[in-house]
Amino acid sequence: MNNEIAEQIKGMLVERLRIPADELEYDSELFGEDIGLDSIDSIEIIVGIENLFGVDISGAGATKEDFRSIETLTAFVEAHKED
Amino acid sequence: MLMNERRCVITGLGLVCAIGNDTEESFKSALNGISGIKDVKSFDTSPCYSHKGAEVELTNEQLADGKYDRTTALGIKAAGEAIKDSGIDMDSEDASKIGVILGSCIAGAACVEKYYNQKCKGEKGDLNDLKSMPATVIAGNVADYYNCGGITANIVNACAAGTLSVALAIDLIRGGKGEIFLAGGCDSFSSLAFSGFHALRALDASECSPFNHSEGITLGEGAGVLVVESYEHAIKRGARIYCDVLGSGVSSDAYHITAPRPDGEGQMSVIERAIKNSGLDYSDIDYVNAHGTGTAKNDESEFLSLKTSFAGNDHVSVSSTKSMTGHCLGAAGAIEAVLTVKALTEGKLPPTSGYSEEDLKVLAEKSGNIDFIANKPRERDIKYAMSNSFAFGGNNASIVFAKDPNKLNLLCPKQDLYVTGIGIVNGEFDESTNTYTAKLDADIFKAYGVKSAFLRKLDRLSQLQLLSGVKALEDAGITVTPENEGIIGICIGTNDGPMTEIANFQKGIIKDGIEKGSAFAFPNTVYNAAGGYLSIFTGIKGYNVTIANGFQSGLQSVCAAAGAIMFGYESIMLATGTDECTEIDEEIYADLGYTGNGSFKLGEGSVTCVIEKASCAVERGAKRYAKIGGFSSARDTSGDRNNNTRLSEAALTKVIENVLEEAQLKTEDISCIYGFGNGIEEIDSFEMEVYKKIFGEGIEVKLVKKDFGEARAASSSLQFAMLAKDIYEGRFENGIAVSFGTSALYSALLLTKA
Repeated sequence: MNNEIAEQIKGMLVERLRIPADELEYDSELFGEDIGLDSIDSIEIIVGIENLFGVDISGAGATKEDFRSIETLTAFVEAHKED
Repeated sequence: MLMNERRCVITGLGLVCAIGNDTEESFKSALNGISGIKDVKSFDTSPCYSHKGAEVELTNEQLADGKYDRTTALGIKAAGEAIKDSGIDMDSEDASKIGVILGSCIAGAACVEKYYNQKCKGEKGDLNDLKSMPATVIAGNVADYYNCGGITANIVNACAAGTLSVALAIDLIRGGKGEIFLAGGCDSFSSLAFSGFHALRALDASECSPFNHSEGITLGEGAGVLVVESYEHAIKRGARIYCDVLGSGVSSDAYHITAPRPDGEGQMSVIERAIKNSGLDYSDIDYVNAHGTGTAKNDESEFLSLKTSFAGNDHVSVSSTKSMTGHCLGAAGAIEAVLTVKALTEGKLPPTSGYSEEDLKVLAEKSGNIDFIANKPRERDIKYAMSNSFAFGGNNASIVFAKDPNKLNLLCPKQDLYVTGIGIVNGEFDESTNTYTAKLDADIFKAYGVKSAFLRKLDRLSQLQLLSGVKALEDAGITVTPENEGIIGICIGTNDGPMTEIANFQKGIIKDGIEKGSAFAFPNTVYNAAGGYLSIFTGIKGYNVTIANGFQSGLQSVCAAAGAIMFGYESIMLATGTDECTEIDEEIYADLGYTGNGSFKLGEGSVTCVIEKASCAVERGAKRYAKIGGFSSARDTSGDRNNNTRLSEAALTKVIENVLEEAQLKTEDISCIYGFGNGIEEIDSFEMEVYKKIFGEGIEVKLVKKDFGEARAASSSLQFAMLAKDIYEGRFENGIAVSFGTSALYSALLLTKA
């Protein structure tokens, strides 16, 4: 996993979604019991990732599984990011 | 006499929206299915996926005289038409009997944009824009424009605000607090709302088509104003009467901050409440002007709730006029109320426009017993019509108009109201900022069972409100259960509302572009988010209104809560006052020149008081802090109308006299006043002089703002709460809390030993 990308995603989630940083691990289930995100939050994540990495994750066909955690989001960004 | 025996009638209409500059033109367009939806002109939408809007063609100068924010200017335009239409002679009429209640969602959003555009460029913002930003100034400005001296209120329950305004007007007239109200709503087109709904992917890329394609809303702008008048007063002055307004319903979903309950429970509840409050049956309703926004979630739940509620009604027609006017947010309910009154009185029902031949076939298959009117108007002689609005925060409101007054319901006889619970969140002085700010640690919320997954969604205002709300419920010994969830309601008072969220959202889109608004932040820019979160967390499903009306809003919320109980809506109400102190607030008050040397120190806080009817309090053996002896609000009508925080000895004296009379007490019976003095010498000395004149030199005056700063609505609510505590602890038997605020409105509440 690319820690630099993961840390940027974590920072974005903390800032845009006001998730307490100390409750957010790379493998925390974002939409499950751990963090409890909902559909509005997923829209915010799409915009946040596009701003950070220029990756349109909904246009690039991200699935529910890709939104599962910081780890899965990082992998998706890595796979679709144009350097 | 039963309190709500008073008939309320509609005697004037005013309307301005994308399909017409007045009522006649708009109604004619609506009947003919002419849509006002075009490409947006107010701002550049090129980076967005949608470019549609329903804008009013008139300029601000054409609407009013150019010095007002566009939302207020729209309100002034519609109010002027309504006054003229009603035939009220403003010169000979007693101005103190005419009040103004206006709903708004986004308030002075055009000025917010202008002000922060300047600030973001490093320029000094225009002071007039700053003063026009909050919702709190709208009704007062409209009242001053037409010299109305009755009670004012700004109802800020997002998309249900216009409907709630009419509902509140009925209750105030039935409670003897006014004879005539200009009631309605106004909202301008704004980059803030456009960007927010765009972020939520809630805009339709083409024209919205409610109950049809359901791909999203099209935003609009406009204003609707109805002259709501007591029947006696209308007859006395020989007014033309359009129809009766029989009653209303208000409910909370307690589900989600933006989405309606998929099962339609809250919507069905509000329909039932309005029908019962109006003394009708489901089978009486002939026409429903639906909320009908065009989002998939709304259309699905509303279709379900209408079909379920009216399953036994074989003659109800339904349409959504938003297909032509666009969704005018806080004005929507008022615009639709005006169109509903016209439909009822002329026997011509407007359609939902935009259906193709294929769409009509699909509609026929799914509509069952309901006559969904599409494309062409329906000519029908009808007796009872309903207009529904459902808002962010899970707030639902419904009003019923009637040609036939005979079925007027007679509800609960007057009974005592007690304060049975108090929850206080105060600020502590911070030398570094010279403000009083509250500690909102996550641990405090955890102790009340608030999970961080929920808490993180709440802005500071909502967090303050949630904390005082749960504290008050705990203090009152109330656990919200399926048995009592529907008899408990909420009335929030605030001066500035979520101005921090509004400013930050606007600054975000100035920096990043209109297409990059935050979907997460946008729901918190509506003033009723705090009340919505309180309902969602606690499960309270009853009445839910948010009033933004100056510093005195914390007292006005108690007045409105008392009304909600007196008219049988609820048995228990949480009446609150809440305002926050953030860097944005500090900057605003510094720019306004209110803070700094010789003025006040800004504070924040939230105070929730549980107001409960006697039978309920006695039955559950509740602690009774004090009994409400009387409440009154009055406006200054003689001072400088360019100064909306003007001091008025006449208005202050009047509210005190009124509460004494209502409580049947004399000045010598009052031991203590909880006053509004905040450190500004002119205000403090004015206040003391008036009290001395009324009560004599010896009257004790307590000033909470000395210890907790100017926390605006939270301060006025704190005055009330501290008074209740003093009485409960036996310090004295009778006292009065007094406050005043923007729009020169003064409010007094008298508490007496329970």
